[in-house]
Amino acid sequence: MPSEWSKLLLLVYCLLLGGCITQWHYDLGARIDASEQSLPPAGTTLAATLLQFGPPHRMSASDTGYVLAWEHWNVSEISVGFSLGAAGADFLSVDWGRMRAKGEFILMTFDHHNLVSAAARSEWDSNRGGGQAVQPFFGFVSVVDADDLVRRMHQHNWGMGVLSPPTQTLNRDSSPYTGQAGLEQRGTPRGVGQQSLEMH
Amino acid sequence: MKKTATRMALLFIVPLLCACAQYENQRGVDVNWQNDITGRLVKDKSTRQDVLALLGPPSQIISLDNESVLYYLFEHSQGEGLILILYNRMRINTRYDRAVFFFDENDVLIDYATHIYDPDAS
Repeated sequence: MPSEWSKLLLLVYCLLLGGCITQWHYDLGARIDASEQSLPPAGTTLAATLLQFGPPHRMSASDTGYVLAWEHWNVSEISVGFSLGAAGADFLSVDWGRMRAKGEFILMTFDHHNLVSAAARSEWDSNRGGGQAVQPFFGFVSVVDADDLVRRMHQHNWGMGVLSPPTQTLNRDSSPYTGQAGLEQRGTPRGVGQQSLEMH
Repeated sequence: MKKTATRMALLFIVPLLCACAQYENQRGVDVNWQNDITGRLVKDKSTRQDVLALLGPPSQIISLDNESVLYYLFEHSQGEGLILILYNRMRINTRYDRAVFFFDENDVLIDYATHIYDPDAS
């Protein structure tokens, strides 16, 4: 009997000790189902556009009128990890991970007369990074990071904008999150461009 | 007898190592833009005050050149997770219920659009 229990415990221990595969799937929004040909031509009214596409996900004022954007993202993340953490030893982890994103984005600009002045659409299905790591003593890094692609819509933080850290508050007039100074897609790097002064 | 005990133990322990999870997250303003409510609004007649009275404070106010926009957003995430120790899978679906209202320089409603996620339609 003890030998049977030993085998069983060994099996359970190996399960806890060994590697595991973890998958995350994020589906953000619904498919837009619009082709390049279905984009409204210049001169189309705002009413007709809203009727076709519904309310936009993002919008902002611009110098020549305003811009509306619709988006759909599908982010898949897979990681394979081996760690001794479950066995009570917080060292030696070996990880491998990959992330893939696909989606579509439609951007339309409107003039001051509420007429479409330009429309564009993009669709992608691409590798968005990944990595592998051997971390003998401490787990410092995650090999896959999808946080900037799956975060909540910025509209929820609009009212709290003035309570941001000083660097971000000073840049508020130029921020793509206020709806007054353009907009940006998910995953846009902050190290350069409009938000570089916010010192992220 | 030994084998039976081992099998019984396996049957008992293996399910303990597995788990499932359910996740839900809701952010934003209450969805008050059902058709029967927005049906009370009339383009070129209703005012910003009418919209605010019906829907309450918006998620965002956007100033255009001579116009303004009230943007309402409700974000709803639902997730399911399957945890089998060796293989774990999490799936999170996020849907955006939203409404946008455009007003002219006199605060009169010139256009609007609404969307409420319908799980049966997807």
